[in-house]
Amino acid sequence: MKHQNVKNSTNGLLSLLINIFFCSSLFWALSPWLHSQEALPHFSSPAIITSAGQSAEVQLAAVIAKRAGLEATLIKMATPADLKGTKTLILVLGASLKGLGAAGLDMNQEIDRVKSLLQACQEKKIPIICLHLGGESRRGELSDKIINLFLPQANLALAVRSGNQDDLFTTICQKNNIPLILLERASEGVTYFKEIFQLK
Amino acid sequence: MNRLKTITIILSIGLLIWLGPFRLFAENQSPTDKHKPHDFRATKAMVVAAHPLAVKAGVQILRRGGNAIDAAIATAAALNAAEPFASGIGGGGFMVVYLAKEKKVTVINFRERAPAASQPTMFHLNGQLQPKWRRTHGLAVAVPGALAGWNYALQKYGTLSLGEVFKEAIKIAEEGFPVSDTFSSINKDEYEKLLEMDGEDSCYLHDGFPFEPGDIFRNPSLAKTLRLISVRGPEVFYKGEIAQKIVQAVQEKGGIMTMEDLSSYQPLETKPLRSTYKDFEIWTIPPPGSGGLHIIQLLSIFENLPLKEWGYLSPHYIHYFTEALRFLFADRARYLGDPEFVKVPVAKLISKKYARSIIEKIKPEKVATTYLSNELFYRDLNSDEVENTTHLCVVDEQGNIVSLTQSINHFFGSGIVPEGTGFLLNNHMDDFSRDPKSPNAPGSRRHPLSSMGPLILFHQGEPFLVLGSPGGTRIFSSLTQIILNIIEFGLGLDEAIEAPRFFSYSVNGQARPLYVEKRIPAPVLDQLRQWGHQISLRETYDKYFGGAQGILILPRGQGLRGGADSRRDGTGGGY
Repeated sequence: MKHQNVKNSTNGLLSLLINIFFCSSLFWALSPWLHSQEALPHFSSPAIITSAGQSAEVQLAAVIAKRAGLEATLIKMATPADLKGTKTLILVLGASLKGLGAAGLDMNQEIDRVKSLLQACQEKKIPIICLHLGGESRRGELSDKIINLFLPQANLALAVRSGNQDDLFTTICQKNNIPLILLERASEGVTYFKEIFQLK
Repeated sequence: MNRLKTITIILSIGLLIWLGPFRLFAENQSPTDKHKPHDFRATKAMVVAAHPLAVKAGVQILRRGGNAIDAAIATAAALNAAEPFASGIGGGGFMVVYLAKEKKVTVINFRERAPAASQPTMFHLNGQLQPKWRRTHGLAVAVPGALAGWNYALQKYGTLSLGEVFKEAIKIAEEGFPVSDTFSSINKDEYEKLLEMDGEDSCYLHDGFPFEPGDIFRNPSLAKTLRLISVRGPEVFYKGEIAQKIVQAVQEKGGIMTMEDLSSYQPLETKPLRSTYKDFEIWTIPPPGSGGLHIIQLLSIFENLPLKEWGYLSPHYIHYFTEALRFLFADRARYLGDPEFVKVPVAKLISKKYARSIIEKIKPEKVATTYLSNELFYRDLNSDEVENTTHLCVVDEQGNIVSLTQSINHFFGSGIVPEGTGFLLNNHMDDFSRDPKSPNAPGSRRHPLSSMGPLILFHQGEPFLVLGSPGGTRIFSSLTQIILNIIEFGLGLDEAIEAPRFFSYSVNGQARPLYVEKRIPAPVLDQLRQWGHQISLRETYDKYFGGAQGILILPRGQGLRGGADSRRDGTGGGY
């Protein structure tokens, strides 16, 4: 009889442990999905699309905006003077030596330009959306410098998941309380642009 | 028993869910370090090229009894399908061929030519240079030579027809393949050009966006074009309906190419350039390819310097190499052009005496103030961020060898795709000088100067090393570094290819920065800075410095070793 009681209590404990384990597993597995269901902030147009680092992905952002029906102007080297009438700044992160060379800039000049632009956005209360669309291949010392410098100032970030394998975007966004949308591929940005800019 | 079963199932499901994130994490890790030096091995025959499917195409031909020339053209055509952004029938190139039975080396020049209406100021408007016209415009397109060159090589030295060697390329284009990180990143880099020149419907875009790694890239239009050429021969490309599509596409974008330009195109077979480095013999291409000439110049310079004493990647080695390059760039702007139209003093430039005169100009621990050639220089050269071209090497069972470099110039060329053809047209007119007075100024039917330098190195009369690389003006610098890494510093072939690279040049007599892969040790760079070099750090493995491929032929039939550059998707195969 005693033996039976011990057996019953052992089974009960085992069941409890299994239940805890199972529930926490479910929570763990579903947490990314739950996170994605959080309401996204909304933004207004017209927007300016500019680059931080002169990578070619700035053109991708322009096509995403066009397909989403967003009123946006692409100015690869936008300055504070370009912000007149702008309601949102879309900043495309990613350094390209090729792009910088073509623009006749070095990294320091580019960083100075973007710093002054973001400073002006802050003064004019223009929200900033940071995009990183180049994935894994647009990571590296120079790009990471740009990401670390400018991503913390974003109001929303969209990044292609393969560029976040080391959780750089997740870490910076969590630390600065920035909503982060991870995309499987850049073209998914069209759907999110429609949502955040409330376009049909 | 049933209870135990249930517990086991529940635990297994839980474990799977728990481990999910870790499993995903593990899958996202690179399986191996692709930069770790790795020599491919074969005993009889080998192909190295910039894409595994192209290597497979070449090896298949060799296994079926084709010779090195057959395999080289099969590989070159397969690269058009598998690495379309770097070369193809819309471009041109050079090949060095070694025929083992005759112990003969020959060169086939299938470099593009300028359209007949070209003239020195064609890229100027109201006296102002229009840089865009040289690169992303109909005027940027030179008359393609690749197909004519491949066909010439096959007819004269091969055993198979175009149709037979195109089979694998057609299959690759039709069935497709997963896009690599390299393809995807280049596709993104050139996205703006593709959008502008070919539109969102371009076959080189995925629903209007760049291809992501792992996407399947298919090109049925290219398969159709290659099949048409297989059936009707190169005439359909140079005189028939494909020619009409090329001319229409070029003219719609402001170009001047005509049907006559295409129908008159002929490849050239020329004598190779030959020189020595210690007890090695080098055979390579003559102008209008400049890479071979500059490799010979650099090797002749280093023949007189104590490289082993200085050591591998030592400050003195890098300093002398860099300064030598800057003086050679002055020569390049002063003398080099298409030898059919301008006198190029090749014998003088590759002489040992001339090499010694360059050494005399180099100050041991100080950067020169000017780099002049005979007190003359031309405004020239845009040795900028352009990354391009492709190289392949083949050795067959009989010992025949092909070293072939081909290109459409910049990645994705001009971005122009003749309607429905699936191939990209080159922008090699950008290889002409910007200076209308230069010996390399654009002119009617001229070949633009090329930096290519496919080569075969011989030791004691036997082939020793087959080598070549893409990389624009970095080609001859990179290839010389690889040769010295092997011969002087004792590195293995792929070790020599993967080794850190550096490059510099001069413009208008003034030094440009010393570009280095950041793996070069910091104390070495500090020393170079003290000697006056402005250092510009590049990526750890930067395709700016090219993507070399090589085959080392071991003596006494001990086999073959292949080296393929991890800066791109290079690989090798054989049996």
